[in-house]
Amino acid sequence: MARDALGPVFSALSDPTRRHLVETLAGLETATLGELAAGLPVTRQAVSKHLAALGEAGLVESTRAGRNTRYRLTPDALGDAAAWIDRVGAQWDERLRALRDHLTR
Amino acid sequence: MEVTRELVVPAAEEDVWDALTNPERLSEWFANDVELTVERGGEGVFRWADGAVRRAVVDAVDERRRLVMRWWDEDEPAAVSVVTITLDEADEGTRVRVVETASAPFAAAEWATALELRFAFVLPEARL
Repeated sequence: MARDALGPVFSALSDPTRRHLVETLAGLETATLGELAAGLPVTRQAVSKHLAALGEAGLVESTRAGRNTRYRLTPDALGDAAAWIDRVGAQWDERLRALRDHLTR
Repeated sequence: MEVTRELVVPAAEEDVWDALTNPERLSEWFANDVELTVERGGEGVFRWADGAVRRAVVDAVDERRRLVMRWWDEDEPAAVSVVTITLDEADEGTRVRVVETASAPFAAAEWATALELRFAFVLPEARL
């Protein structure tokens, strides 16, 4: 996944309801809209919109099973975001070492 | 989404500032070829031997204290991040602090959640 794809992941996670949905889905194999909306103080329609946003960010996948749509967490996108942190951190470690060497040579 | 790194270098602030902002010196340790105008709105180009090119725009300059610039890979102009370099006097020289923040406005709390989720769910899955 390209770095451009990280923005949507964090935008998606900037909402507390969506974070709650991700945390709930993390503990379940799959869940339906009704199951996910049951514990939340928002309408099913709102939950559905949040799930769509999570889906666009690549964090949630939906599959239709009969009359129900089941939602599943696809957390790989978080791994890509973490990879950005690892990569950029390693680059600055290297650059700061080079700066120190440059200043002390 | 943010990365922070810090290092104390055994040099005076003035010297460190020059090493960080003078294109000739930057070409000696940071990249292979550097153009940089250190003033608000000033532009920069960093070129590396492997062909990588990053472009930058300076957003703030506080002489010898702080430099803020936006930069991005020439091949990925949408992936802009903001680099803030701060210098502080330290016992053994100068403390250099670098913060690189991805352009989307993520609060620390959000990032903490993402990291928790990563460690809780992504890593165990990856180990299977």
